[in-house]
Amino acid sequence: MAISIIVMLALFVFYMLFLGARYITPGFLFGLPGESSEAGGGIGPEIFNSFYILTLTLLMTVPIAVSAGVYIQEYARPGRFRALVQFSAEALATVPSIVMGLFGLLIFIYFFHLRFSAIVGAMTLTILNLPALMRVTQEAMRTVPDSLREASMSLGATKWQTVTKAVMPSAIGPMTTGVVLIAGRIFGETAALIYTAGLSVSANSPYDFSLTHSAETLAVHLWYTRSESLVPDVDRIGNGSALVLLFMVLVFNVAARVLGRFLSKRLTGKSS
Amino acid sequence: MIATEKSVKLQASDVDVFYGSFQAIKNASLAMASQTVTALIGPSGCGKSTFLRALNRMHDLTPGARVEGKITLDGADIYAPDADPVVIRHRIGMVFQRPNPFPKTIFENVIYGPKIHGESNKKRLTEIAEKSLRQAALWDEVKDRLNRSALDLSGGQQQRLCIARVLAVEPEVILMDEPASALDPIATSKIEDLIGELKRNYTVVIVTHSMQQAARISEFTAFFHLGEIVEFGTTSDIFTRPKEKRTEDYITGRFG
Repeated sequence: MAISIIVMLALFVFYMLFLGARYITPGFLFGLPGESSEAGGGIGPEIFNSFYILTLTLLMTVPIAVSAGVYIQEYARPGRFRALVQFSAEALATVPSIVMGLFGLLIFIYFFHLRFSAIVGAMTLTILNLPALMRVTQEAMRTVPDSLREASMSLGATKWQTVTKAVMPSAIGPMTTGVVLIAGRIFGETAALIYTAGLSVSANSPYDFSLTHSAETLAVHLWYTRSESLVPDVDRIGNGSALVLLFMVLVFNVAARVLGRFLSKRLTGKSS
Repeated sequence: MIATEKSVKLQASDVDVFYGSFQAIKNASLAMASQTVTALIGPSGCGKSTFLRALNRMHDLTPGARVEGKITLDGADIYAPDADPVVIRHRIGMVFQRPNPFPKTIFENVIYGPKIHGESNKKRLTEIAEKSLRQAALWDEVKDRLNRSALDLSGGQQQRLCIARVLAVEPEVILMDEPASALDPIATSKIEDLIGELKRNYTVVIVTHSMQQAARISEFTAFFHLGEIVEFGTTSDIFTRPKEKRTEDYITGRFG
């Protein structure tokens, strides 16, 4: 069983390489997309938008989800309120991303009259990923044994000092791993962005930091090119984009482990 | 009581401790004199650790635990409404059964307390670290690797580090909950020597399951059984001339 998983991943990666590797050129990676019915062009703005929306999403998700997770895990006494928060988070976590995308469309676009944009996409992804990151925070805090909390409290630390100076630094490894894995998921998210971040890139420049520009990401671009586009070189753009996307997500996964281990070592002084 | 020869540092009067509806400690009164070692002995589950944890308000952290009665530190009630448990724990330090160093460096472990109490001067912190580690008889073993992880130390060294960590916040009372029970005999004797040193400056209350240990290190001994203090007296009286039948049975190994 275990080996078949490795074999499947390897086959998948090699197949993608076989299909897409020849299209990966600097012009493809950094160039602007072509006109809608002509061949040629790159995916520069799409890669940028993917990172941009990821950054925006993390900037909003991490503070909210970490505070919520720390509160629930360290402060909230077991009871009705805590159970309700847990239940809500679990319910929210099971919402399919396309439904969340349509929710974003209803609320941000129709109700608040915002435009398809980077910020609307990021807000939608924030809602989508809050529960997972809250869970990651809780799990990370749970790896810290109570004996450390007792040690800290018995030295005359306040609850807040105990959480920030003893518990959180001890949980930094699993915490980082979790955040980066979720970042990988955000990077590859598609359905929730179609109706919120839009299907076109900024007309101003390939690297547009405006929060309100339409910001098609790499994953959305891949979906759009494959299913809707009229360009003659669909295979080139599709296979090339898919390979880049796959590579990025793999990088996130590897980075999650490496970073988690590195930070654990740095902040907890554990030598391997 | 006997303890009045030296001034009473910590006094428990009619203390009850409950876990939910279960009463773990019944009507316990005990005077702990300053600059002495008071040992709490008794069979497993007799409530001696529970009593110890009431002395620095550690039960505040356990949902469902409740302490009744009066415990005074220098005459002031530590459970009074205006008593700050954070200040109490600063003045009454605790060493736990299993060594529980933070997953940080040796240095960071020792200065954790002083830092949270507002000391930020690097030079001063370094001095505190050296002084505390010397007091805990650990300095010579770790002085060259202060920036290594505390988790790399042996169990006995970790426990002495935990003692150094407590000493660094300069408490007045040190509570020890079977501090040597997870250690080998050599490490245990080091900890015992250390306790002998500590009582010159501190009030030490130690829970131990080892009667020999209590006899070796303490001036006073309280014998706990089924949540009550059965007998309290000088250690030599308790071990040689127990007044209560239950104490005698325990001392002579008839139960426990």
